[in-house]
Amino acid sequence: MKAKIKKRSFIDATASGTLSDLGFLLIIYFIVIAGFTLNQGFIINLPQKNSTKIVNVEDIMKLYLDVNGDITYNNKTVSYDELKGMIKEKVSIKPNMVVLLKIDPEVVYQKVVDIINMAKELNIDNFSFSIKKDET
Amino acid sequence: MKFNLRKRRFPVIPLSSTSDIGFLLLIFIMLVSLINYRHEVKIDYPEATKQGYTQSKKNFEIWIDRDGIIYYDGKIAAVKDLEFLITDAVQKRPDIRIHILADKNTKYKYVNDVVEILKLMEHRVVSFVVKELNK
Repeated sequence: MKAKIKKRSFIDATASGTLSDLGFLLIIYFIVIAGFTLNQGFIINLPQKNSTKIVNVEDIMKLYLDVNGDITYNNKTVSYDELKGMIKEKVSIKPNMVVLLKIDPEVVYQKVVDIINMAKELNIDNFSFSIKKDET
Repeated sequence: MKFNLRKRRFPVIPLSSTSDIGFLLLIFIMLVSLINYRHEVKIDYPEATKQGYTQSKKNFEIWIDRDGIIYYDGKIAAVKDLEFLITDAVQKRPDIRIHILADKNTKYKYVNDVVEILKLMEHRVVSFVVKELNK
């Protein structure tokens, strides 16, 4: 019996176009990766120096954000959802209402972002926040 | 007289050179991306749901880590130095946008320090960079 020995076929890597495909796929990868560095966030308009705005006291909703991240309104601690409902109700009565947030300097940044996020969610036009200074 | 007739060769496109072009382009893009390399500071981004894109053509990124240390361009910067850095950047590019990238666990007073400087410089817009909350 005569055994047939298959000849090993020679593959010329340089003659194939696969390397160019790989190269272009990597280029696409880099282009896509470049898009991931886009920043997302909140654009905050800063007030002008010494700019004063006269607002009716009744149109101001003063909130305090304490060191633990608890929100106080009218000397009562309110939850995030309660506050949301209260602001919604007030804005429906007075659309020009100003929400003023006083922040404890020691509070974590995430808590501040949560309130800004809520203001965005409720489409509050007049939302202002500043750090709570020592009143001693 | 006998003329030697040349045999007409069948035209072949050399595919091997396209891979070279591909890789050269790849190296070019990699080098370009190194030029625009963003010096990131390891922070936990604050999370939100109603954020928007704040990217501008040119951004000035101020990073604040968990301990309140301020970084600009990968280097530690003092609050006072920021004033000069921002002035310089605004002079070069008046349309530059200031981005504050602070750790979600940092104390707000550190973020406020930067905001106060911007107010002092009468800068009108600042962006608080956040990450989309995973639902």
